[in-house]
Amino acid sequence: MFHWLEKHPFLFAVGVFVVIAFAGLVEVLPNFAQASQPIIGTKPYTILEYAGRQVYIHQDCNACHSQLIRPFKSSTERYGHYSLSGEYAYDRPFLWGSERTGPDLHRVADYRTIDWNEKHMINPEALVPGSIMPKYPWLYKDPTDINTAYATQVAAAEFFHVPYNVPIPLKNGKTTIIPLAPNLAAAHAMALKEAKAIVDQGSDKTLQEDVAHGKIPQIVALLAYLNQLK
Amino acid sequence: MKINKLYVSAIVMILLMLGFTYIAVGMDSKSAGGDIVNDLAILGAIVIFSATIIVAIKYVRQMQTDKATGKLAEDNWDGIGEYENELPIGWSIIFLGTIVWAFWYMLFGYPVNAYSQIGEYNKDVKISNAKFEKKYTNLTKTQLTNMGESIFIVDCAACHGLAADGLNGTAANLNKRIQVKSVEYVIEHGSDNHLSAHELATGMPVMSAGLTKKQIHTVAEYVSNGFDKSNKAGAKIFASTCASCHGADGYGTPYVAPNIHTFTPTLVAHIVGHGKHGGIGVMPAFKNLNPVQLKAVATYVTAISKGE
Repeated sequence: MFHWLEKHPFLFAVGVFVVIAFAGLVEVLPNFAQASQPIIGTKPYTILEYAGRQVYIHQDCNACHSQLIRPFKSSTERYGHYSLSGEYAYDRPFLWGSERTGPDLHRVADYRTIDWNEKHMINPEALVPGSIMPKYPWLYKDPTDINTAYATQVAAAEFFHVPYNVPIPLKNGKTTIIPLAPNLAAAHAMALKEAKAIVDQGSDKTLQEDVAHGKIPQIVALLAYLNQLK
Repeated sequence: MKINKLYVSAIVMILLMLGFTYIAVGMDSKSAGGDIVNDLAILGAIVIFSATIIVAIKYVRQMQTDKATGKLAEDNWDGIGEYENELPIGWSIIFLGTIVWAFWYMLFGYPVNAYSQIGEYNKDVKISNAKFEKKYTNLTKTQLTNMGESIFIVDCAACHGLAADGLNGTAANLNKRIQVKSVEYVIEHGSDNHLSAHELATGMPVMSAGLTKKQIHTVAEYVSNGFDKSNKAGAKIFASTCASCHGADGYGTPYVAPNIHTFTPTLVAHIVGHGKHGGIGVMPAFKNLNPVQLKAVATYVTAISKGE
């Protein structure tokens, strides 16, 4: 059937490539598709967490902090269980990073509280003597961009079918529902409610007042994002 | 015997080899004759070289003089024929052996011994844990305290500070057993620091009924300052409200209430392992520490807080 191919070396080479590439796809894709499924306990981002993720990216946190715990005893002893690919299912883009000037942050919420992060970001050296991390005082003043966060969230739900408003299984056997606001005004209200829950766990009175007056400084969004890294 | 060009070139090559060897090492008195291993290596090199040349000559001669014998097979391919010879035994054994090995490798060899990153990690953890256990089985109190100090610097100092003073209220001041703020909080909110499953039957109930804010503050100061004898009012409230469970001097009652006069290693180890929710804030559970490490950090904290 393919006898004629033997007389056309170029076409033959293309044919060989196609056949081998197909075999490769059959071997690689199913495994890949399975590994990229969210694991139990991986939740989509809420509106404020999305906003915090934007702050994280905007401030280039990933330039110094990785979010990928390698399966080495030395790493898991310090940062917790090694990272699984399914845990990044809702990350677009993922923030693995390849540089560890600071520590890995993939499970930072397991051992750092909101209160601690709130005090740390304004002056890292006050909590960690000799820390080379810069201060981020402007995060405590600049407002969070909830509009973009909402747009990102809607895009994730529409184009990537990220499961909002449906039950998500948790590690303890229960389920939770991550809501997606029906419109922008509702999204703002939702973000404010989340922000209140975050600052209540911290101790910064100025931030609590800001949120009470309907403002969300960027640090609050960042705290919300960091608090779900576990 | 007719002089063959092959033999001549072989002898020339062997002589050249000997010559090069002599130039390379023989002229340096330290290399040749100085060390038996060097001499043996040179001798070995010459033997291998000579043997290679002699065997090569044997086969080249054979090709030059051999006449083909045997029965030709009937098939021939464009005039190229083939003799009906027996398969060489060695070749057959290797051929069949390879087939058997292929099945073994496909069914057992690869699946059983396949490499995986996580497999290597698990092995690594096992080895590391075994080493830890072997090295740190019977620790003296000094060793435990030293280990605890290292752990404290890595895991605890970020919130409690290197001086264990709690960094301006970020975390508990570990230089004393309990702070005024914490005492007030437990009186007003009760307490259940996951100790119920540990050594206590239940958590502490809310005790603020019948006490004014000022009275709570007074007793908190009394407890916080190490059962300050000069604080008569505080001592009186403690005796009437707290002492029935925590004991007259706050040393606790087994299975009823914890020691609030000093830290004990058991209590600290339990809080580090399970986390804490109190007046100052939330402390996460440190699940990365194994029992020996928990004991070590607890011993250290007890020591710096002037406990026991």
